[in-house]
Amino acid sequence: MKTIPLTIEDPFRKKTYRWGRPLHEETGLVSRLFFGLILFLFAVLSIAPLVWVTLSSFKTTQEFQMNRLGLPDLWFFQNYPQAWQIGNMGTLIVNSIFYTTVSTMAVILLSMAAAFAFAKIKSKATPVLYGSFVIGILLTIQSIMVPLFLMANAVNLLDTRLGVLIPYTGLGLPIGVYLCTEYIKGIHDSIIESARIDGAGYFRILAKIVFPMAKPVISTLAILNVLTVWNEFMLINILVSREALKSLPVGIMKFSSTLSSDYGKQFAALVIGMLPLLLFYLAFRNKITEGVSAGAIKG
Amino acid sequence: MITRRTKAEERRAYLLLVLPAVLLYFAVVAFPMIFSLWISVSDYSGGQIFGGSTPVRFAGFSNYVRMWNDRYFWISLKNNVYIVLISVFGQIPLGFILAYALHRNMFRAKGFFQTVIYLPCVISSVIVGILWQTIFSPYGPVTEIMQFFRPGWQNTMLSNPRTAMIPVLLVMLWYYTGTYFIIFLANLQKIDKEVIEAAKIDGATEWQTLRHVILPALSGVIVTSAILAISGSLKSFDLIFAMTGGNPARRTSVLALYMYDTAFRGAPNYPRANAVSTFMMAFSFLLIIITKLVEKRFGGKEE
Amino acid sequence: MKLRKLTMWMVLLLLLVFALVPNLIAAEPITIRVLNYLDASSPGAAREITEIWQRFEEENPDILVIREDQFGEPFHHKTEAYAAAGKLPEVLYVWPGGRSATLHQKKLLKDISRLLGDERNAFIDAALEPQAGGYLAMIPIGLTASHAMYVNTALLEELGLEMPKTYEDLKAMVAPLRAAGKDCIIIGAQDDWVMQSVLYSMIFGRLVGDEKLYEFIEGKAKFTDKVFVDSLRFYEQLFIDGVINRNAMQTPYGEAPALFAAGRAPFMIDGDWRAGAFLTDESTGKALIPPEKQKKIKMTVFPAIPGEINHGTSSIVPAVGYAMSAHVPDGSPEEEAAWRLISWLNSAEVQKIRLETGAAFPTRKGVTSDKLEPLAQERAEFYGRISGTHVLDDKLPPEICIPLNIGLQEIGLGLATPLEVARNVQAAYDEWAKSNK
Repeated sequence: MKTIPLTIEDPFRKKTYRWGRPLHEETGLVSRLFFGLILFLFAVLSIAPLVWVTLSSFKTTQEFQMNRLGLPDLWFFQNYPQAWQIGNMGTLIVNSIFYTTVSTMAVILLSMAAAFAFAKIKSKATPVLYGSFVIGILLTIQSIMVPLFLMANAVNLLDTRLGVLIPYTGLGLPIGVYLCTEYIKGIHDSIIESARIDGAGYFRILAKIVFPMAKPVISTLAILNVLTVWNEFMLINILVSREALKSLPVGIMKFSSTLSSDYGKQFAALVIGMLPLLLFYLAFRNKITEGVSAGAIKG
Repeated sequence: MITRRTKAEERRAYLLLVLPAVLLYFAVVAFPMIFSLWISVSDYSGGQIFGGSTPVRFAGFSNYVRMWNDRYFWISLKNNVYIVLISVFGQIPLGFILAYALHRNMFRAKGFFQTVIYLPCVISSVIVGILWQTIFSPYGPVTEIMQFFRPGWQNTMLSNPRTAMIPVLLVMLWYYTGTYFIIFLANLQKIDKEVIEAAKIDGATEWQTLRHVILPALSGVIVTSAILAISGSLKSFDLIFAMTGGNPARRTSVLALYMYDTAFRGAPNYPRANAVSTFMMAFSFLLIIITKLVEKRFGGKEE
Repeated sequence: MKLRKLTMWMVLLLLLVFALVPNLIAAEPITIRVLNYLDASSPGAAREITEIWQRFEEENPDILVIREDQFGEPFHHKTEAYAAAGKLPEVLYVWPGGRSATLHQKKLLKDISRLLGDERNAFIDAALEPQAGGYLAMIPIGLTASHAMYVNTALLEELGLEMPKTYEDLKAMVAPLRAAGKDCIIIGAQDDWVMQSVLYSMIFGRLVGDEKLYEFIEGKAKFTDKVFVDSLRFYEQLFIDGVINRNAMQTPYGEAPALFAAGRAPFMIDGDWRAGAFLTDESTGKALIPPEKQKKIKMTVFPAIPGEINHGTSSIVPAVGYAMSAHVPDGSPEEEAAWRLISWLNSAEVQKIRLETGAAFPTRKGVTSDKLEPLAQERAEFYGRISGTHVLDDKLPPEICIPLNIGLQEIGLGLATPLEVARNVQAAYDEWAKSNK
């Protein structure tokens, strides 16, 4: 333990720093106006949907149909308790948090382990195995929905939590392995060599050196996976039948369809479903940039 | 001491590290993929797949031929190409411009803009779809604003096949730019400041610095973004599904939606749907190879 | 630091245990799995759950009902997956044809005529027609007129216009309406099934008729025949004359009722089920059209079309119903339990609830209610006034109907001529006929 050098310089960390002096006095008025306009437009367009969906959730269906974009005449708060109750949201939120955290942790662990081996241990198997992971990025989920259902049925995992977690983890792996491998490739071999010379095994190197250094890519992967799993709907809907095991999007979809007749509850359900993710994003928004930075995406 | 042990230990470690991910991946992704390939050349026609009354047999490539002869397949493919183009030549440049503007500290509220530009990516596509459907509806706000300026104006944007995709593409541009914005913003921060300062001292203009220092340094990022954009846009489904459902008359359909329609709606034809998904994979694979070739030819200065 | 790590491991462990704990269900009573279709946001959803499902469970403690509510597209995914795995639930909600055609044709549903016995006399004849499999797999919970013309008589009076009797009358109204800034007929036809279901099936019934429809299906007539092409030409004429705005094809289905309620046009064409959209919602106490104004809304059918062979018809289809999976053994306790549930779902009490919530119009003889709003009353009377021909997507196999649906949108948009669409439909028919021989 003591023999592992602890003062290794992170090859990326030393490059990341803030630009000291604000540069706006250097840029011309025209380009500032141009960029400013685009930025402003984006800001408005990003916030407007949130405001709109929140306002709509306080309208009765009848009012929403007549007045789609204005303020509600009558603030109808009842949509929330009704949507919560009919949609069984309490259970679903707990389930969603469970599926999201467990599958994300599993994706990170498995991706990091495999990526470490692909990037730093020479083997003839790597091109084939790594290549097949990368091809998986191109997969569309609709095409494997039915096969997955048949397989889950064959091994008796239908309608169980494990039967949801396994596919969720497996489907997160292609992008996970890709991002982690590309990142770990950027860590200098010398760091690992010297740890090896000091007698550290691969697992210890992975745990003590690679993991801490890979924090940026791990947070990127975590965010990507959380977003995907949280909003995933098609797969869990066919893999699970019991209400007690379903996730939030399934509850929300109960209210939204082209034939849906109650917009008020639908929007209340959408806000309930969106809120946890929004809070998660606002809490970790700095981590996201930090995460994507420092070569999480190969640069 | 190292040499003797190393080889065996290396192999053991490799196996232990890779095995869990590989097993899971093959069970959950690779096997169903092969299964889908097999179904695409079978004659499965609904009902029980294994042990049903009519066994499933090999049926040749008729499903691929049928797909190839279907004009709605071509409409979907064409729309998908538009989406690929808007992603690669719209979202990525725009993402870069926004990132660059913020990176150069042109504006004070950097944190605010950063948060807000990525925000759409966090909103569920269902909300985004319903919202924009309302906005572009013939009786919706776009129409009302236009009628304020030109009374009697009719909103025929979606009913004209030549313009039907425009609202969809605009929304896509807005919805996904944030992803590339954040990637570029992060990577811009990694570029060595001294290199840029040096260029400035040598008398390079803003544009020259951008062209000769910053863009080459980002070429790897651009390629990775392009790959993400291509595979992502060929898979695009949720947003269009919620916004137009591919209508009117399938004029805003895309491959994933076409595949979904074939598999689950109307007359479910699972083999043909799987033929479509196999084509989609092959097509995006091809595009990505082209991207890689372009990178080899023109870019890759930074390594 | 130590403590934090410890808690993290504890949480992980807990989560894992949570995941692995087997799903223990006490299985003493007879278990019946049900795949149900329920729009959780519909005004009647609360009553549906408490008064129909929970009441059955309370009154039948010996049966454990595991009910799964699904809605919209996801419902069909689930059915597909169940069918592919050979694992259909004991009781499931099915369409008489259309989306559920495979279930009927592959005989995955039980023939219920033996179980039904003399009870059949309680239902109207149209409800007892065999479904797509050629036998009776379910009794529809209701009958549906897929075409109804909703008329805002108050708006007509205000503009000094009369109810149109013929198509010419209707056409003559376009100019004055346009002058007043109004459309003539509203249809929310962005989704491709709409035009076919709510409008063209009626036109087909008026100009071509049911007898000819069977000739098309059996291959004795071709879709390129003059009579079919002419019916498409009339449909095309509606757009040329401005009776229907081409914008209909980009109007979302969900927007139409509000546009009609706001007086954008004096007419709306939609299914009879859309009357429910205007009624008072019990959970909010609001209505799109308040009851006192509902009296001014009439439900009728499209005016007389030149050359029609059937007069004043709508298009009528038996609605959905509850069927039993074919894998339930004859005479088993499961069959008895499943049948008890299905019988309850078809009972007069349940049909009365569905009449009141506007979910379905009864298929049992003599089910009425005195708790109806004016427009619901109007709808009930509407059925007494009309007769109907078939709805095309109920009779035509989807392989043929989907090209027709899309073709109708293309005609509406001016992207295809009636003859081209007729040729495409015939081509789809030829292919279907080839693979089904």
